[in-house]
Amino acid sequence: MSARRIIGGTIYVLSGAVGVLAFIYPFLVEIPRQSYGQAHSQDAPLVTVALVGLSVVALLVELQGREISARTVALLGVLVAIASVLRFVENAVPGPGGFSPIFAPIILAGYVFGSRFGFLMGAFTLLTSALITGGVGPWLPYQMFTAGWTGMTAGWLSHMVHRVLHPAPRVKEKLEFVILCVFGFAWGLLYGAIVNLWFWPWAVGAPEQTWTPGLGLWETLRRYGAFYLVTSLVWDTARAAGNVTLLLLLGPAMLRALSRFRQRFYFEVCTDA
Amino acid sequence: MPDARTWLLWALTVLVTASRVRNPLYSILTLLIAAVVELVCAPHRSTGLPSSFRFGAIVIVLGALFNGLTAHLGDTVLFSLPAQLPLLGGPVTLEALVYGATNGLVLAAIFSSFSTFNRVTPVRDLVRLAPRAFHESGVVISIALTFIPQMMRQLDEIRDAQAVRGHRMRGLRDWLPVILPLLMGGLERAIGLAEAMVARGYGALSNRRHSLRLQMLLLVGLMVMLAGWLVFLLLPQWRLVAVSGMMAGGGVIAGLLWQTGRSVPHTSYRMHRWTLRDGFVALGCGVTLALLFAPLPCVDRKALYYSPYPRLSPPPFNAVAGLGLLGLLVPAIVVKRGFSSDDRD
Amino acid sequence: MIEIENLTYTYPGAHRPALNDLNLCIGEGEFVLVTGPSGAGKSTLLRCLNGLVPHFTGGRISGRITVAGHNPIAEGPQVLSRIVGFVFQDPRSQFVLDRVEDEIAFGLENAAVPPAEMRVRVEEVLHLLDLAPLRGRTLDTLSGGEQQRVAIAAALVFRPRILVLDEPTSQLDPQSAEDVLQALVRLNQDLGLTIILAEHRLERVLPYADRLVYIPGHAESQRNVLAGSPRQVLQQMELTPPVVALGKALGWAPLPLTIKEGRAFAARLPLPPDTPRTAPLRRPGSRLHIRDLHFAYNGREVLRGIDLQIAPGELVVLMGRNGSGKTTLLKCVVGLLRPEHGEIVLDGRPVTGRHPAEICRHVGYLPQEPDAMLFADSVLDELQVTLRNHGLQDAPPVPPAVLLARLGLDEVAGSYPRDLSAGQRQRVALGAVTVTRPGLLLLDEPTRGLDYQLKRQLLALLREWQAEEVSVLLVTHDVELAALAADRVVILSEGCVIADDAPEVLAASPLFAPQVARLFPGTGWLTVNDALIGLGVRKN
Repeated sequence: MSARRIIGGTIYVLSGAVGVLAFIYPFLVEIPRQSYGQAHSQDAPLVTVALVGLSVVALLVELQGREISARTVALLGVLVAIASVLRFVENAVPGPGGFSPIFAPIILAGYVFGSRFGFLMGAFTLLTSALITGGVGPWLPYQMFTAGWTGMTAGWLSHMVHRVLHPAPRVKEKLEFVILCVFGFAWGLLYGAIVNLWFWPWAVGAPEQTWTPGLGLWETLRRYGAFYLVTSLVWDTARAAGNVTLLLLLGPAMLRALSRFRQRFYFEVCTDA
Repeated sequence: MPDARTWLLWALTVLVTASRVRNPLYSILTLLIAAVVELVCAPHRSTGLPSSFRFGAIVIVLGALFNGLTAHLGDTVLFSLPAQLPLLGGPVTLEALVYGATNGLVLAAIFSSFSTFNRVTPVRDLVRLAPRAFHESGVVISIALTFIPQMMRQLDEIRDAQAVRGHRMRGLRDWLPVILPLLMGGLERAIGLAEAMVARGYGALSNRRHSLRLQMLLLVGLMVMLAGWLVFLLLPQWRLVAVSGMMAGGGVIAGLLWQTGRSVPHTSYRMHRWTLRDGFVALGCGVTLALLFAPLPCVDRKALYYSPYPRLSPPPFNAVAGLGLLGLLVPAIVVKRGFSSDDRD
Repeated sequence: MIEIENLTYTYPGAHRPALNDLNLCIGEGEFVLVTGPSGAGKSTLLRCLNGLVPHFTGGRISGRITVAGHNPIAEGPQVLSRIVGFVFQDPRSQFVLDRVEDEIAFGLENAAVPPAEMRVRVEEVLHLLDLAPLRGRTLDTLSGGEQQRVAIAAALVFRPRILVLDEPTSQLDPQSAEDVLQALVRLNQDLGLTIILAEHRLERVLPYADRLVYIPGHAESQRNVLAGSPRQVLQQMELTPPVVALGKALGWAPLPLTIKEGRAFAARLPLPPDTPRTAPLRRPGSRLHIRDLHFAYNGREVLRGIDLQIAPGELVVLMGRNGSGKTTLLKCVVGLLRPEHGEIVLDGRPVTGRHPAEICRHVGYLPQEPDAMLFADSVLDELQVTLRNHGLQDAPPVPPAVLLARLGLDEVAGSYPRDLSAGQRQRVALGAVTVTRPGLLLLDEPTRGLDYQLKRQLLALLREWQAEEVSVLLVTHDVELAALAADRVVILSEGCVIADDAPEVLAASPLFAPQVARLFPGTGWLTVNDALIGLGVRKN
């Protein structure tokens, strides 16, 4: 493995770590036994947003380190447009809760065209959706980051299925399907967990909201759990279920169409991490 | 019309202000300011209350309820829930409700500032905000924005074409004959577009291969930033080191961004020059930040942080800080009436 | 300026070379027309000129090309973009941005041209193509012709010496096509720009062309590429515009290229006395009856009281300028649009209130973009999809295999439909809507972008169906086709029927008269055949 690959891989890992940390940091913050109204405690959420934003930037810089051909740019643009159109269509066909049809295309695109493409597709789809629906805000870095990782891991999944597992051709399609559906379900939940909870620190306030020696770690966890249950879980299960349904119904045909397209037109030297 | 960059500065200032100030009076003031700016500056005056108000109201109520029901601290007890209930059991106090409402207000202020930002900047201008290093990403987004209306029309055409061969839209499965041609047609158009772009010289000047040195620097920047953050969270006594670590790491990444930007051969047809209006808005933001956060003697810093515990009391209000917040109102004052949406020179 | 020697190119994965040992020379400042049947290699040849072939498409190439001193094969399209401007067929899939000015400046931005210089060039090109009044408009609000002019402007902004256009007017209506071609003629004559244009509709540009290049289809060897002055090449071509065909048949020399030149010859001929107009033969029966149809869209009246009847086995051509309501009428018949007022009766049953899917069991509607229909894995599957939609898969009214054979698609029955050529794709779509054995066929602009040969094949197919008592309502801008095919012609204008008569009615209209009618006014002749019979050269 070349030095570039290793460094590239480490960059992915580190930015992933930033993401994970952004999620779990409230548990790590020590409760200082001081008077309430500590100014610095308010910085934490802002800093988190900034850091997640910076790691998205870092990832993008890394991913653009290799030449991006006109073909990739055009393909990305059009696929992002199609995914966004599906989102509008979703408003016409109301699905329950957090059901959003943009994840299935992101996962499929990452699966067929590789992890680099998948990340860009995820990040840009969320960005474009936000631009059009007027949803740009401090939650956007989280959304881009997580959707990007959805696409990226879909690419790794494909790598795993094709290189590592070597399934027989007939079994392959069925296997791919099951794996993709499970994957879609998992990410449906995970995406919600990460993104809907970005404002938890703001919403719930500083840990030391009491004048007594504050809430301990266990208490924080319990409240976090309650928060998740109340706000996120139902929404996310709907999204996860929606992903699975979409992938089941539309997936095989879309996958065939994308693969055929890739074989015929998309001869690009993709050395994906 | 102030530039998209200026608006971003404004929105970020409101973000910082709103999240660091925990006094409901100031939060309400911020909300009002954002609403006023939106009503005055947004190109399309939608009737009625902005949707951010509704959203804000929901967030405030939810915040109050959540905190009130789960945090059982405070003196003024309203009623008690049976203690056997997990998490919910215990006295529900007014202080907890107020605290939750205060948090909700903060969130509402943040949302409304970004709602204003979204309404006020046309979408394509936002795309132009992208730094030069992300020029290709900007092209991708531009293509997506251009193709979305086309694809929507295409969707209608496809629905008609399928109806004509006997297709009825009954369930979710019936979307397949509509989405598939959309996808296939889109893919074919993408190739046509790529061909047209190449024929117009796209990609002629890019020799994009980041040097190993750049990659290493990126890695180092990320590591330092991450390390700094961990220290910030876990070892509060080393706060200064942590902050400087994070800033250093962030700075390295930003610097790399700038440098890769310089190496992208690209010029801009529509350049926005920094006008006096932009200057005023920036000044207003600066004043706000200074008055609220700089250690000036005239401002009573404690007034910014209000806690209802242990016993509910009216929140303090410092006039100077309030005036400082008014610095955020500058865009509403400075905007030209009857402007055109594209103010280039 | 352009020299091509022994050029041979094969697409990746193809069995036969697309270009085989081609030789061609083009001088500076020439207006060159490239024509030939679909699939013959026109597009491939044009793409060789700026290096898209082989850099973008892959494949194997051999031979030599020199374009203004550069070698496209070695240098590639990015370098050649400064010397050769390229315009594609579909205006919508060439654009990256949404405003005219921004789109034109896009290429310059990517070339890192300094802003001051950019402004100068953009202004220059806007004025050159008469786009200054449109500069701030969004691209989707423009007509097809205006969009193509923007595409030309975007290519010209690099000040290339050669402009290559691959069927730029195929997707456009006649007015827009005229717009674009006039712009090209101006560019060639005023600026001396070398223009290489691939076109099917030769009539419009023949008078301006300096050279005509004819690339024969694969049936004939490509060594027989004909290149020379238009008259020379046309003399050797088989399918030519009516004026030219008549000229060849009657031995007119020099061969007339325009109506004006043809009139000079035609006027000298002894004409038979004015034949009285025969009353149109009204066939018995009524398959489709439209009564007083009104339709409004967004408050604007599109159809104002249309009355129309079509008998079984009749082919009616519907003509009219853009926006006169032709497509709207078809959509009302099929149930996609609901009229405000009026009645549409199909085979005795009213159509209003029924779902399009149900109506289309008996009506075959071929939309303008047949690609919108195709998504199955094979051609046979496409037909099966329709059958399944109607619940007829077990008892198909027409066995799919038989239909495919009739459409000439039996060899590609297992192929992926979207990989086929445009003509084949259209026929697949046609198969998909006729597999239910409809009694009425509605065709919306089916001959857009088709070459003469394919048009003839389509016509033969329609005649076969007519013989089986299938009625056909054909919407087209193509007067020559109408002259050949129609039993009756209906002309719409501003939502009203202004003519509903035998095809001879076309001859009288200045807007819709075919070439032969313009050559011999007052005779009622519409096609070359009519004229030859009328002049006694050919027996009936």
